[in-house]
Amino acid sequence: MTSRTDAPEGFLSIRSLTKRYGDFVAVDNLDLEVPKGELVAFLGPSGCGKTTSLRMIAGLVPATSGRIVVGGGDLTEVATHRRDMGLVFQSYALFPHMSVARNVAFGLEMRKVDKGEIAKRVKEAIALVHLTGKEEHRPAQLSGGQQQRVALARALVIRPSILLLDEPLSNLDAKLRDEMRNEIRDIQKRLGITAIFVTHDQVEALTMCDKVVVMNQGRLEQLGTPVELYETPKTAFVASFVGRSNRLTAVARNGAAEFAGQRIAAPAGLEGPVQVMIRPHRLGLSPASPAAADPARQQVTGTVARAIFAGDILQYDVDVGGQIVSVELATRGGESVIEPGRPVTLSWRPQDIFIYGAAA
Amino acid sequence: MSAVAPAAAMPAPLPAAERSSGLPLVVLLLLPIALVNAFGFLAPVFNLLRMSFYESQATGAMVEVYTFATWASVLRDSFYAELILNSILVSLGITLMTLVCSYPIALYLHRSSGTWRTILLVLVISPLLTSAVVRTYGWVAILSENGLVNNALGAIGIAPLKLMFNKTGVVIGLTEILMPYMILALLAGFGRLDPRVEEAASTLGAPPWKVFRHIVVPLTMPGIALGSLLCFVLAVSSFITPKLLGGGRVFLLATEIYDQAIVTLNWPLAATLSILVLVIFGGALVLYTRALRAIM
Ligand SMILES: Nc1ncnc2c1ncn2[C@@H]1O[C@H](COP(=O)(O)OP(=O)(O)OP(=O)(O)O)[C@@H](O)[C@H]1O
Ligand SMILES: [Mg+2]
Repeated sequence: MTSRTDAPEGFLSIRSLTKRYGDFVAVDNLDLEVPKGELVAFLGPSGCGKTTSLRMIAGLVPATSGRIVVGGGDLTEVATHRRDMGLVFQSYALFPHMSVARNVAFGLEMRKVDKGEIAKRVKEAIALVHLTGKEEHRPAQLSGGQQQRVALARALVIRPSILLLDEPLSNLDAKLRDEMRNEIRDIQKRLGITAIFVTHDQVEALTMCDKVVVMNQGRLEQLGTPVELYETPKTAFVASFVGRSNRLTAVARNGAAEFAGQRIAAPAGLEGPVQVMIRPHRLGLSPASPAAADPARQQVTGTVARAIFAGDILQYDVDVGGQIVSVELATRGGESVIEPGRPVTLSWRPQDIFIYGAAA
Repeated sequence: MSAVAPAAAMPAPLPAAERSSGLPLVVLLLLPIALVNAFGFLAPVFNLLRMSFYESQATGAMVEVYTFATWASVLRDSFYAELILNSILVSLGITLMTLVCSYPIALYLHRSSGTWRTILLVLVISPLLTSAVVRTYGWVAILSENGLVNNALGAIGIAPLKLMFNKTGVVIGLTEILMPYMILALLAGFGRLDPRVEEAASTLGAPPWKVFRHIVVPLTMPGIALGSLLCFVLAVSSFITPKLLGGGRVFLLATEIYDQAIVTLNWPLAATLSILVLVIFGGALVLYTRALRAIM
């Protein structure tokens, strides 16, 4: 975990941030450098500490240890209202006694922006989230998705130096969500706002963010660009959480992983039980004929357990020594479905398979 | 208040026979309380109203002859106008003091949790287990000329303060006595307060006092309104504490009614003043509902 301390300093710099609740470690030694103007996604399963991290960055919960530095200034001890960060709450947290317009204006009023300017910016922000006409509504009179958009407008309108978004699109329908993603990305780029975007949704993380932090049980599993995470996941958790993967178990010995009597090359240094991950659509499948094998590809043999023709793809479950491997082949037309029970050879490029020690 | 759901909203699974009896369920459910109110409240009030028009004689006897004499004298005499105004102002003062003293406690209680909250709640409610008379005598021991406060002041060479037999004593005593009611009413009205909403305000740049002013106070208004109504009504109608701590020198409606009914035996006058108290309560209630509508 100390390996990142030599990373280039970012605009937002999170150093060894830890939060403990009693014996429970909600966020464990988080190190992260976010350059100015970048959008970073926090991706991870429920309860992994995403919200807790954001709350520490915003100053809403004190960190047990670690530092938060923005633009060279240490904010760890600075009160929330002086941090100039916009936070979109997972639960929206709108002011129930104020109209939509007053909710959005609140941050500007606190900043003593002059009246005319407030009116203009509030109007823009409300238009941006497609709520024009709802200015005088109370939050209770809005749908969940509309409330979420008010929360978004309220945080964006103050043009904070850092924008923290806690699953800001979770309640929107697919079309609106797409639109809002683009809006957020646009504004964030146009204003050069440094932003953290918390999400459960890997598509969201991969498509709209510059970098993605994958978190698991309070720890940072991997930080990288979407391509890095997808193509070179560092842990089995990342490989299974970003994109889909077959997860197989094998035993490593002398630089090879072995399952059901078949050997494939494994990274040196691994011994004992290992996890093998490979993505279903990166596998090739052919009727068993080892002679025709491409020397550049690795392969194992198995038997078809199930074959499903799903239009765009042809999906096979292949039994390899008792473990089921799913394979997805794009259909091109004219291929014949291989019947269950027939022997087949699975093949892949060496860079498409990931082998991790069982502990990972 | 959203806490008081109308009885009609509850789906009650009644046997078919009762459902077809013709009387709507609402009426059936409201009937018991309506009867209690009719006999326990409306009838006595009506009696009181009638009594206020009876003639009273200097001997204290009451003659069942209708006359406007009592009402006319009450409405014309500036002593009574002053009495009413005085009662309202003192009660408003007490209500304000009670609110100011109770609000922080209620807010703290609202935010605490677990065993600690239970302990605090018991502490807040426990004064209600002692009668107001006993608690008032407690205040006598503290506020009187050679009571706790003045003894302490004397010890450091400060002249004694007049803390009793004046409005100061009445306000201090009643404030303490009414605080448990205020705290409970405030707590009942704090439902809309949400820590996330306060946090949202602070992330938007509001310092703590602005969060308090723009978020906490407006969201707790229902509690403030309820507690104020309750304490105002209790303050106007309380007479033991004003009597003991006012020592006959603080003139309030409730003590005057007591004197007229028990000492002077002028029942028509006592009845007239009682009706005026009811009118004041009606006014308070109207203000309360107006306030609630403005808040919500
Ligand atoms: N005040 C608290 N006291 C004790 N434990 C807490 C507290 N707040 C959070 N936790 C625990 O910390 C862990 C992380 O919570 P957090 O809210 O950060 O998760 P999350 O990643 O945002 O999850 P989700 O995606 O479901 O929102 C959870 O296991 C939670 O139970
Ligand atoms: Mg969360």
